[in-house]
Amino acid sequence: MKNVIAFIEHKNGQARRVSLEAASAARTVADLLGGTAHAVIVGGDAAAVAAQLAAYPLDAIHVLADATTDKLIDPAVDALSVVAGAAGPSLILVGNTMIGRDVGSRFAARVDAGLNADVTEIRVDAGRVACVSPKLGGLSITTCAFKSDYGVAAIRPNVFAAKPGAGQAEIVAIAPLGKTYASVVEDEVEEVAPELGVEEASVVVSGGRGMGGPEPFKTILKDLADALGGAVGASRAAVDAGWISHGHQVGQTGKTVSPQLYIAVGISGAIQHKVGMRTSQTIVAINKDGGVPIGEFADLLVVGDAFAIVPELAKQVRDAKAVHA
Amino acid sequence: MKLVPDTNADKRIDPATKRLVRSGVETVLNPFDEYAIEAGLQLKEKLNDGSTVTIVSMAPESGKEIVRKALAMGADNAVMLSDQALAGSDVWGTAYALAAAIRKGGFDLVLTGTQSTDANTGDLPGALAEYLGVPGLTYARKIEVADGRVRVQRETETGYQTLSAPLPALASITKSAAEPRYPSLKGIMGAKKKEIALLRVADLELTKPVGGDGAKVELLELAAPPVRGKGQVVTAADAVDGAKRIIDFLKERKLL
Ligand SMILES: Cc1cc2nc3c(=O)[nH]c(=O)nc-3n(C[C@H](O)[C@H](O)[C@H](O)COP(=O)(O)OP(=O)(O)OC[C@H]3O[C@@H](n4cnc5c(N)ncnc54)[C@H](O)[C@@H]3O)c2cc1C
Ligand SMILES: Nc1ncnc2c1ncn2[C@@H]1O[C@H](COP(=O)(O)O)[C@@H](O)[C@H]1O
Repeated sequence: MKNVIAFIEHKNGQARRVSLEAASAARTVADLLGGTAHAVIVGGDAAAVAAQLAAYPLDAIHVLADATTDKLIDPAVDALSVVAGAAGPSLILVGNTMIGRDVGSRFAARVDAGLNADVTEIRVDAGRVACVSPKLGGLSITTCAFKSDYGVAAIRPNVFAAKPGAGQAEIVAIAPLGKTYASVVEDEVEEVAPELGVEEASVVVSGGRGMGGPEPFKTILKDLADALGGAVGASRAAVDAGWISHGHQVGQTGKTVSPQLYIAVGISGAIQHKVGMRTSQTIVAINKDGGVPIGEFADLLVVGDAFAIVPELAKQVRDAKAVHA
Repeated sequence: MKLVPDTNADKRIDPATKRLVRSGVETVLNPFDEYAIEAGLQLKEKLNDGSTVTIVSMAPESGKEIVRKALAMGADNAVMLSDQALAGSDVWGTAYALAAAIRKGGFDLVLTGTQSTDANTGDLPGALAEYLGVPGLTYARKIEVADGRVRVQRETETGYQTLSAPLPALASITKSAAEPRYPSLKGIMGAKKKEIALLRVADLELTKPVGGDGAKVELLELAAPPVRGKGQVVTAADAVDGAKRIIDFLKERKLL
């Protein structure tokens, strides 16, 4: 395992942030292995996305610009197989996302590769690649090495840094695959405006049952998240009440997040919520009850009424940022 | 379906064996798989053409009574792939062995959950589809079968896609697809008579080694996560004070 290949997800001509993180990690790990770093981009917009990736220090960007492959998993796996086959035993980096997991797991099965999911650190020791991942909701941290020629690591968003740098990557066209695929995408429907997902945001402001209804998620929490450049999350109690969609749920049956800053508002901190956010770098809670479980693991718990504190906090954040600007 | 340690139980890893301590922790049906079972039962009822639902689980034989719960929900029969030789399987080995077991029984449609509460990799459905050589329609929140095709609403980060493929195929079912039913008394009684067939590795004609020896990843190290200690607790005198304390703290941590 010498070379490293990042699979690039993109939408509307833009690479996903976790894919830029994967491209950066590909460079770092390839250097440790003394190999080369590659990116693979598939779809109608592939050329535009390749131009964006050119700002990253990769050796080669492999492009399959073919709109008929859009939104399908199989052609992405085929393209990845072509590139990996040429590169030889290599490490494949995908995002630990819905698409990344699909592409990574299918590719792994195709070449009998080991799989490491939800990777937060990649180590190279005497030429051997090992992946660090939290397991059982962060209960234990495992380090697993690959025993196979090829390996797939699905990296947790927002953990590896996206580091642009002098890019001199060669753009390589992948030859048309000349295949037809059994799966057909009949249509695609956007139900919500695309926004920064909780998994990728560096700041997450989450609301719980204490918010009392859907409004605060659109007003005070959203405003605080905007002031901090972050995303709005939620506890399951808020999602089950129908106040905000499931995509925002943090926890065991929702998303796992690792932002720099997590602000829990009106959330008690049940174990199932904790496992989804315990790896956040800093945790701040606002709760009217000083005895809540979240007080046991938050770096700061402010006891008070969220409806009063949150709007004021948003204002003070804006003031503080204005001073810096 | 997968058997997992109870999500509410206090889980622990044995530092010596580097495996999950299962004794004293109740084993339950992976909650995510109940949605897949429900979706299968609803498809069968709707098709009403003699289609059957078979539960397949790779798990120790001791999990038989949990598999029976799925039969009580209404599945027709079950196959358990249980073999000491499978201990220590990774995602790769699980998908490889399960695919062989499923192929042996024959199928039109394989339904899985989207993730398990213990491994939580969400990688099994894709790998399984690949080994079975069939289309994989993952994250389905709605599923229907007609004229030899399966059609799903596949969840995306911002909405959904309508995706279809010819049978045989695999689909993973999300939580929003259907609320799982409770077994009826009749179902519970009926399940006692239903067959749970046992498959061993030797029945599968595998060509690659499975279990711990065949695994493609090797556990090097197992560590406890850094403990998150109790931080400061402050009571806000008023809104301005509460906000200011957070601002000061964020500045101290260089987050602002
Ligand atoms: C199998 C399973 C899976 C689960 N998965 C998840 C999951 O993925 N994510 C998840 O979050 N939960 C999950 N849960 C649910 C979890 O156990 C808790 O029920 C849930 O997290 C509670 O949400 P909450 O903290 O918002 O509500 P509560 O526990 O009711 O807490 C509300 C808090 O708001 C505070 N409050 C009220 N008013 C105000 C105010 N004006 N100002 C400030 N504070 C106020 C209260 O003091 C209280 O602490 C799961 C449970 C199970 C059994
Ligand atoms: N040992 C197993 N036996 C049967 N199905 C399984 C097994 N492990 C995983 N699955 C299925 O694969 C899905 C995803 O699991 P995982 O990849 O472990 O997160 C689960 O929801 C199950 O439907």
